[in-house]
Amino acid sequence: MGDLFSNLSLGFGVALTLQNLGLAFLGCLVGTLIGVLPGVGPIATIAMLLPITFGLDPTGALIMLAGIYYGAQYGGSTTAILVNIPGEATSVVTALDGHQMARQGRAGVALGIAAIGSFFAGTVATLVIAALGAPLTKLALVFGPTEYFSLMVMGLVFAVVLARGSILKAISMILVGVLLSTVGTDLETGEERMTFGLPFLADGIDFAVLAMGIFGIAEILRNLDHTESRDVVRQAIGRLLPNRDDFKQAYKPVLRGTLIGATLGILPGNGAVLGPFAAYTVEKKLAKDPRRFGRGAIEGVAGPESANNAGAQTSFIPLLTLGIPPNAVMALMVGAMTIHGIVPGPQVMTRNPDLFWGMIASMWVGNLMLLIINLPLVGMWVRLLKVPYRLMFPAILMFCCIGIYSINSLPTDVMFIGLFGLVGYMLMKFGFEPAPMLLGFVLGKLMEENLRRALIISRGSLDTFIDRPISAGLLLVALVLLVLALLPSIRKGRDEVFTE
Amino acid sequence: MSTSDESPGAAGRHGLVRAPQNFAGGLLLIALAALALWLTRDLDQGSLRAMGPAMLPDWLAYGVGLCGLVLLASAFLKDGDALERWSLRGPVLVIGAILAFAITIRPFAFGGPSVPGLGLVVAGPLAIIIGGFATPEARLRDLVILALSLTPFCMVLFGDLLNLPIPVFPQALAGLFPADWSQKAVLRATAAVMVLVAIAVFFAGRGRTTRTVDVADHTGRI
Repeated sequence: MGDLFSNLSLGFGVALTLQNLGLAFLGCLVGTLIGVLPGVGPIATIAMLLPITFGLDPTGALIMLAGIYYGAQYGGSTTAILVNIPGEATSVVTALDGHQMARQGRAGVALGIAAIGSFFAGTVATLVIAALGAPLTKLALVFGPTEYFSLMVMGLVFAVVLARGSILKAISMILVGVLLSTVGTDLETGEERMTFGLPFLADGIDFAVLAMGIFGIAEILRNLDHTESRDVVRQAIGRLLPNRDDFKQAYKPVLRGTLIGATLGILPGNGAVLGPFAAYTVEKKLAKDPRRFGRGAIEGVAGPESANNAGAQTSFIPLLTLGIPPNAVMALMVGAMTIHGIVPGPQVMTRNPDLFWGMIASMWVGNLMLLIINLPLVGMWVRLLKVPYRLMFPAILMFCCIGIYSINSLPTDVMFIGLFGLVGYMLMKFGFEPAPMLLGFVLGKLMEENLRRALIISRGSLDTFIDRPISAGLLLVALVLLVLALLPSIRKGRDEVFTE
Repeated sequence: MSTSDESPGAAGRHGLVRAPQNFAGGLLLIALAALALWLTRDLDQGSLRAMGPAMLPDWLAYGVGLCGLVLLASAFLKDGDALERWSLRGPVLVIGAILAFAITIRPFAFGGPSVPGLGLVVAGPLAIIIGGFATPEARLRDLVILALSLTPFCMVLFGDLLNLPIPVFPQALAGLFPADWSQKAVLRATAAVMVLVAIAVFFAGRGRTTRTVDVADHTGRI
């Protein structure tokens, strides 16, 4: 326990320097600004803004990126409440009751309770990360290549189970993602694989390029097809601070949401996505009068929003302790860390304690800032939402181009976001969801490396994955999950959760 | 989020293919798998004890191909979503804008002939204006104003404040400025000129088309 506090005080020492405070503030502000734009989720936001952190020192850069992430997430909720367009999967649930509250003239209260719930969840999640960080890092030391491989297999199975729509399509997307990750020079033999002899493919496909193409450009193309009506709330925003009754109704959902979100967020394979859905379902089940849900129940905003934020934050745990990014956002963080010369994994904590604890402390600082900057700025976000899409998407387009060009100064990278944008658009048209592909791509390189190493150690015997207890356990969990997901009765329930 | 809008009509369709979306998806996966197998045909598979470069890609390609086959087969057996409407305008113009940006931002050679590097001053507005026409609601004047105000903003943000190595001007025009001006002074001067032109365009067209200037239009379209 004493360790925890000395570590946290080290962290706050780093996070509370004037420069880092400024960076956290800037990150939150810019993240929210871009995140508020309908149709721009956290992945595209971070990919677009990655270059602006290049000039900073690694700690500052990661603090700012974390700020951008929370900001984008929070911005997504704002859009969900005010416009009923969820920026990404996790704010779908918020839109249900949040937008109804807004139509009843309680937009301010919905935004307020979302911010307060998020802040509380963020505080708890920060403590969870600080407390679990050290023990999990020790766990990572007993992990060999065999265990790593099995853990990643489990993560991918999670991603399949959590994806919307057809399980077969999700599996094929994951396989395609891993396949894409094998493009480039083979690390052991130095032979070029599937590069068409093109020199810029020799290092493989850049993750930022793939992510930007699939989540930035493809999203623009899709939005251009659907001329949905944008239903910006015309009513007054109303008071922002929830009153005593609101608090009374909301504090329990906040507590439960935090617990659910924090637990699910730790799971590899994007468990954080499930948090808001689970929290909403729980609240609806526990409510005395479930009919209020979908008609502006404050619990339906408080629970999922807390779960969302708690999960967003605890999903840093697999990255910081095991070096495995559990979702696409964390994969971008890996990219950012690598650019600054830091290899994510258990060694970060011992080799760069300033960075590790500074970043954790800055998460709490970032949450506090979001609470402070967002509520007064609501009016500005509302005006931003009124900018028509025909003016917004060319701007997003240019930002994507500049952002991706400045990462490597390669015009070919810019062309590739166009190509991947087109591919992503086609995939969406054929009913595939691109998120699992991205996760497969992210984990692909690590998986191949660990698979090869494990097989060299075991002299080519596949039994090693079953003989070693931890690895066998992880694979068993993966198998059980997959079977469960395929069972007809559970499958129906899963569809219900996602269509609600 | 966005499932096919035409799906209710799908049940009434006749023909061999009962789920066109899955049919197309299956074909795509099979083509992808075939491509991967063809590309790795010359590489060594290796053995489990020492995996060659082609082993994992090949396994994965078989996996992808198998998924594709199952999907294809299911398209004949089960009713599913119809293919959504495709529009060419959006993809063509958006990709065109991206390509225009890529080849003008710095010198780019297509085998023999090469494009001179024109920098952000040209590439930015080009991307915005070409891309902007991807929607039928595009208005040239608004896009010009947007291009002339966002480009200087990005020039100052990325080139001046963040010092990113992004080319800003056509190299041929470097001689036009006084020799003792620094790179940044030139950048700021150009940005200022662009903003002024943007403001001029904004006010110039105002008298004639007052109705359409209202940027925050309330048609509620996205």
